[in-house]
Amino acid sequence: MKSNNNIYIVLPAYNEGKVIKEVITDIQKEGYKNIIVIDDGSSDNTYQEAKSTGVITLSHPINRGKGAATQTGIDAAKLLNADIIVTMDSDGQHSPKDIKKLIQPILDGKADVVVGSRMLNTKGMPQSRIIMNKIANIVTYIFFGILVSDSQSGFRAYNRKAYTNVYTYMDRYEFESEMLGQIKNAKLRIKEVPIKVIYTDYSKNKYKHMSRFSAQGLTNGVKMVIRLIENSLFK
Amino acid sequence: MVIQIVVTFGVLVLVLPGIYSSYKKKSLTPFGAVLWILLWMAGLILIWFPHLIDLIGSSLGVGRSIDAFVYLAIIFLLYSVLSQKIKINELSREITLLNRKIAIKKIEEDKK
Repeated sequence: MKSNNNIYIVLPAYNEGKVIKEVITDIQKEGYKNIIVIDDGSSDNTYQEAKSTGVITLSHPINRGKGAATQTGIDAAKLLNADIIVTMDSDGQHSPKDIKKLIQPILDGKADVVVGSRMLNTKGMPQSRIIMNKIANIVTYIFFGILVSDSQSGFRAYNRKAYTNVYTYMDRYEFESEMLGQIKNAKLRIKEVPIKVIYTDYSKNKYKHMSRFSAQGLTNGVKMVIRLIENSLFK
Repeated sequence: MVIQIVVTFGVLVLVLPGIYSSYKKKSLTPFGAVLWILLWMAGLILIWFPHLIDLIGSSLGVGRSIDAFVYLAIIFLLYSVLSQKIKINELSREITLLNRKIAIKKIEEDKK
């Protein structure tokens, strides 16, 4: 296997001061030294915590959303001449052990983009969450014409051809769908691999409102559709 | 009569000082400020003398001139909302790009 020297892990982070250090250390333990944290204008100590681990820590002066932070991380990795860029959530819900699974199809030359899917093995996932994800997949298909099993997964790997061919403009969560649309338009080879989701108390609390059909979860969904409509109207 | 007084009061107490302070803060050009004042004044005149709308309408050959007036107002408002929306989207995108530029500045400098 090729060395991990030119694999960059991009972690967009917003108010993750409590866990970011542990998340970074866990990734380092798996042998990945190139980590870029983008503190997206957090109001807590995310930046200081990430910086103290010695990884590349960038800071958005103003909070712009996960999409904007991820694209900043991709731009930074591009500048550092990455061979492969892996994007991960910074709340600890993704297992660093799965990075290997994600980059393998790229190393084998079988894919340009690999999406880690929580929906290929839904064991332990609340039924309502499964339904929400499926709705998001259908919405993504309607707007961008690409159907995947987990359109909202932030655990993805891109090779050079892929990351130079995509550039997202949507600042918030909708960028995951926008990115898929660009992947389709650029005719990149996409592959999905099953990933494990770690439901810690921290992440459970954070996503509590999204794990059931709460008013907030529904509001977020409606907002996402509105922003997707806007995006198709205004460029 | 009451509505005329309320609107006139609102224009004199809220709108005109608002236009003046925008002009002072340089967010309105002198031309822009005069245009807004004239627009509001025209609105006030039409509220106090509604028959003027019919006069304008008949001179333009429009039967129910109040309808034409409402339609034109809606078109103007829609255009205004749309152009503002476009501007806000542009600004939002520019803020993100500026944010990004600041964030990766160090890496760019190190590369040089």
